[in-house]
Amino acid sequence: MPRLVRSIWILTGVHLVAGMVAYVHFLVTGSYRLLGWYFTIFGSLFFLIMAAAECSLAFVCRSWFESDEPMRLAWSMIAFAALARLAGTGIRELADGRLNWGPNQWLLPHVGGWFASQSQFGMVIGGPLSMAFLAAGLGRVLSVQRKFRLSGSLTRGDKALLILIVAFSLSQLAINVPLLRQHTSPGTSLLWLSDPLLALLLIEAVLVRRSVLRIGQGLLARCWGSFVVAIVTTSLGDASIWANNRNLLPDSLIALSWYIWFVAAAAFTCAPAYQLEAMSATSSLRQLEVR
Amino acid sequence: MKFLPRLNLGFWKRAQSGVSAEPILLGQASVSGLDELSKRLSRWGSLWSAENEAEDNSTAQALVTERLTVWLERSFGEHLPASLYGDGDAISLSSSIPILTAFLGRRATRELSRSVLQDI
Repeated sequence: MPRLVRSIWILTGVHLVAGMVAYVHFLVTGSYRLLGWYFTIFGSLFFLIMAAAECSLAFVCRSWFESDEPMRLAWSMIAFAALARLAGTGIRELADGRLNWGPNQWLLPHVGGWFASQSQFGMVIGGPLSMAFLAAGLGRVLSVQRKFRLSGSLTRGDKALLILIVAFSLSQLAINVPLLRQHTSPGTSLLWLSDPLLALLLIEAVLVRRSVLRIGQGLLARCWGSFVVAIVTTSLGDASIWANNRNLLPDSLIALSWYIWFVAAAAFTCAPAYQLEAMSATSSLRQLEVR
Repeated sequence: MKFLPRLNLGFWKRAQSGVSAEPILLGQASVSGLDELSKRLSRWGSLWSAENEAEDNSTAQALVTERLTVWLERSFGEHLPASLYGDGDAISLSSSIPILTAFLGRRATRELSRSVLQDI
């Protein structure tokens, strides 16, 4: 495992262990105090650090490609997705005042009547906008993979999963589209794009995963594998929110499901770290020595 | 700032003496240097496309293939895609350059070629 990726997972591990202490405290006492404190302070900081690391790594990866290379566009989209996630996280942290940065509302753009709140504006930037960029980037990756015949054929399980994803997103659209005619703000309507975009990302993840399984466990394969892990964990987080809204989960499981987002953030950061490792190690002859 | 040294007479004297000495050194170096470069380029050319015309190339070719295979397995995975193989069975720089350029970029591929051919 490359040193950078190891550092990301060590940081995530330490963060999750600290989180588990807060979770056990919640299970024993039933009080949300420590858990809330952990998610407000450490959780917010973790998301900001991971988003900033992902964004800077993705832009470095982008800089390794020249403007006429096909993967330049892919990495541009992935870098913009990371930038949108960082901006969205930052705006939400500032708007919600989770971190004690003083009076900070003046730092935020005026969102007018488009969004219900500045926090919602941050959610749109870090959610649907970021997902749209990522979907465009992964679409480009898939087209390059297909060109080099790297994409494997889908199994029955893959096809069944794809049908399930499409059916679920169509059912969500059937619920949300009639609501668009009602009083919803443009910000709320934009947030509803999250589900179809996540479905699109899941479809791309299934296709990317198939090619990854076909070629093995190299650095580039792990890069795309990390995106798959990140998208699947994001979907699990989304599913837990959906289940929570319908009171399908007990309190103990609801609190536990919040930790999924940390794993998703770490996996998103690992993807460009693997790509960068593959590219930067090309200049070292030591890497080429036969094992 | 660049024009300031030009006002210095000592700089011009040193520059003139340097210029007058260089053609002789270059002339001596060019004969052996160009021959060496020409040999090296032709050797690299055959290694690039995995041609085994010269007998002493076989060891070097094996080393290139070995280094490339290690690198490709590290980059892509243990099941190397069929598009990496050229017309023959051996993996060569020329057969693997398109896929490496696509996924790693020209800059990284250039560095990789340099590393693979280093000390050969």
